[in-house]
Amino acid sequence: MLCGELEVVFEQEGLTPLSPEARQHLSECNACKHYFDDVTGIVALASGFPAEVEPPERVWISIREELQRENLFRPKHREAKSWWQSFEELFWTRGLATAAVAGMLVIAAFSAFQEPRTPVLEARDDPFSSTVKVLNQQEHDLDNMRLASTTGDPAVDTSLRQNLQQVDEFIADCEHRVKEVPSDDLTREYLTNAYQQKAELLSAMMDRGGSLN
Amino acid sequence: MTEAEAIRLAQAGDAAAFEFLYRLHGRRVYALCLRMVSNPSDAEDLMQEAFLQLFRKIGTFRGESAFSTWLHRMTVNVVLMRLRKKSLPVASLEETTEPDEETGGPRKDIGAPDLLLTGAVDRVNLERSIEKLPPGYRTVFVLHDVQGYEHNEIADIMGCSVGNSKSQLHKARTRLRDLLQEEVREQARHERQIAKTQTGQSD
Repeated sequence: MLCGELEVVFEQEGLTPLSPEARQHLSECNACKHYFDDVTGIVALASGFPAEVEPPERVWISIREELQRENLFRPKHREAKSWWQSFEELFWTRGLATAAVAGMLVIAAFSAFQEPRTPVLEARDDPFSSTVKVLNQQEHDLDNMRLASTTGDPAVDTSLRQNLQQVDEFIADCEHRVKEVPSDDLTREYLTNAYQQKAELLSAMMDRGGSLN
Repeated sequence: MTEAEAIRLAQAGDAAAFEFLYRLHGRRVYALCLRMVSNPSDAEDLMQEAFLQLFRKIGTFRGESAFSTWLHRMTVNVVLMRLRKKSLPVASLEETTEPDEETGGPRKDIGAPDLLLTGAVDRVNLERSIEKLPPGYRTVFVLHDVQGYEHNEIADIMGCSVGNSKSQLHKARTRLRDLLQEEVREQARHERQIAKTQTGQSD
């Protein structure tokens, strides 16, 4: 083996283990022997250097601060939160807004609970509102009829008949509605009043001695 | 927590996982930086830069190579980049100690007796000589002879072939021997001068 060939062995296969030919050459060539001894000494000394050295804690502190500044840290197990935890977090972190929204929801719910009564009343009032006015007018007319009964005016009898007809029509409407909605107390009340008015009307006509026909 | 779990959690931005990975690999990375720049303050800067790069890119780690190899590759890149910026003496990766033309063997001082380093070299000499190595040689030497990496791992870290890694290491060792011989000669010359001065003074 030549010196150049040994160098290739050192490069490709390292310093150990050496083949018998390489060892033979080393025993015969002082230059290569010195090279081998020197490099072996260098490698042995270098392998004694520490492969690990504890860095100062300030390095991690700086790294952590930089990572925080760059928003590379994210909250841990964010996806594992239950809806209640998320709601609770939202509530406490945004308490004022949450309370305001909750208050509005309560008011809205209360209004929604109250509102149906009013439309129902209005709906009930609407079909009978004109009739109520007529009945009031009839009451007024009945008073006039009482006064007029002594005057013997035939127009009074005609008016009484017209009023009686209107009351009958109103009674028919109310009876029809009560059949459809038996629980409609308001209509029942109107119906009761209508019967009363009819009774008063008939009484007034009897007092005048007039005929229903 | 295992390294694989830590990597997965760190990819999701878990702060504790980042710290786990730092504690797991930090000492080795710091030792490499320290050996490459021989200045604790610079080594800290380089280590910080390497880990920041690592954590910024950890989402792209797919596990094709070992995590430590990936980290060391980043560290070596950061260190070599810094050394190039500082315009420190940089030798080509192909730079070599020319073999003796006649014998084809390792170069030696012709006409001068071979200088045996055994026993004449200590740790301080060696550290000083390692500092003088070109960065490419230094990196391979530190990774192989100090940190104990195999040539295939070094090839992954350096992005070169196994053959190239072997060649670089051989050249690094040969250059170190030359530098140490110079160092020892310089030391001997200095001692002789002191002795001469002392002799002159006594006469």
